[in-house]
Amino acid sequence: MTSKKTIKSAFESLMFVWGEPLDVKTAAELFNISNKEAYDYFAELKEEYDREGRGIRIREINKSFQLVTSSENVEYIERLCTPVREKRLSQQALEVLAIVAYRQPVTKGEIEAIRGIRCDRVLEGLMKRDLVQEAGRSSAIGRPILYGTTDAFLKHFGFQNLKELPDIEDIAGVMNLEEPEEGVETGQLTIEF
Amino acid sequence: MSYKVKIDLFEGPFDLLVYLIETSEMNIYDIQVAAITRQYMDYIQEMQRLDVEVATEFMVLAAVLIEIKSKMLLPRIKPEGVAGGEGDPRDELVERILEYKRFKRAAALLEDRQEAMEAVLEKPKEDLSPYTKEPDEYLNLDIRQFAAAFHLFLHKRKKVEEIRKNYARVERQRMTIEDRIQSILRLFRQKALKKITFRQLVEEEDTRFNRVVTFVSLLEMARQRVIKVKQQETFGEIVIGIGEEAGEKKVHDQ
Repeated sequence: MTSKKTIKSAFESLMFVWGEPLDVKTAAELFNISNKEAYDYFAELKEEYDREGRGIRIREINKSFQLVTSSENVEYIERLCTPVREKRLSQQALEVLAIVAYRQPVTKGEIEAIRGIRCDRVLEGLMKRDLVQEAGRSSAIGRPILYGTTDAFLKHFGFQNLKELPDIEDIAGVMNLEEPEEGVETGQLTIEF
Repeated sequence: MSYKVKIDLFEGPFDLLVYLIETSEMNIYDIQVAAITRQYMDYIQEMQRLDVEVATEFMVLAAVLIEIKSKMLLPRIKPEGVAGGEGDPRDELVERILEYKRFKRAAALLEDRQEAMEAVLEKPKEDLSPYTKEPDEYLNLDIRQFAAAFHLFLHKRKKVEEIRKNYARVERQRMTIEDRIQSILRLFRQKALKKITFRQLVEEEDTRFNRVVTFVSLLEMARQRVIKVKQQETFGEIVIGIGEEAGEKKVHDQ
């Protein structure tokens, strides 16, 4: 039985070598420990890095862990070199992605009903960027394809899992979204509710 | 009511509608359908005037607005005994607008996250093959089996070499364009022909290669104006006529 300290230290090395998010299950198998145990070790490591305010942090993406830089240091990194960045998503792409993220699994028809406009090409682009994937088929007529988000989506937006998606159901917040200087009458809203 | 029109601003009909409602500072629960419909239609006409292709989806929402507008004109009859009766004809539209705004907000949230995440850098996965190189595979053979296999190999090689010693490898001569041009010219001369069809020329050619060579030869001859080529209709018969300047001397080797 390998000691906890050894395993944690080993996980650190593994993440360094692996680069990509390292699956808890894979790591657990290497030491013959349960996924839960492995997860806890990773979480502890992550907590230690955060507490000590290290320049390297551990990020969790859907039960995988990865070494990344601390966001506070981006300015200094840019002094040293220009990191390659992914292209930002267009407004259209963000809208479609938001619907997929919150309503998954969702069909193309449902997305189009919300936006009132076709989205074939946008959806195609999102799939190409691996942010959206097919997630089976609906049992509705014609068995349309269902879409869902990927782990790459979580990574791109820095979510640990889908539960971390911010709540958008409160309507008051929706009303306040648009330019506040335009004076959306929230006062009238309180009358409505 | 004046409003600014920015053509490339809107992602879809709802985007436009939400924009119009907000700029006219209307309460979303009390949309003045007539005013909004007019603005919406003005906008679509403006798009058409500027020759922007108006997506059919914009028209669909226009139709929905007009339908609601006409329903609003009708007196709402409450059937006896039924509380409330028909709801506000705008209800469904409001619901859809709110739904759309909800996701527009979600999109804005995602956009912020996206920007924030640009500050977090990761290392791309490196080539790990130096660490995971498979060890060499060993043949599980005893020395006698190995010797037998090697002997068999030597024996085969010897046989192949013996055969090679006595025979030379020959390639079948393939037709060249130059040869084919000469043979076509000969054909014209021998039979004193003025015209021949492509079909006749390739009738005896059994391989695709030779047919293609014949065709390319004809193109070359046409380029040098040795022949005239006519085809009346697509996929029709190609008729080759000998040109005035016909003669071997005009055909240069390329």
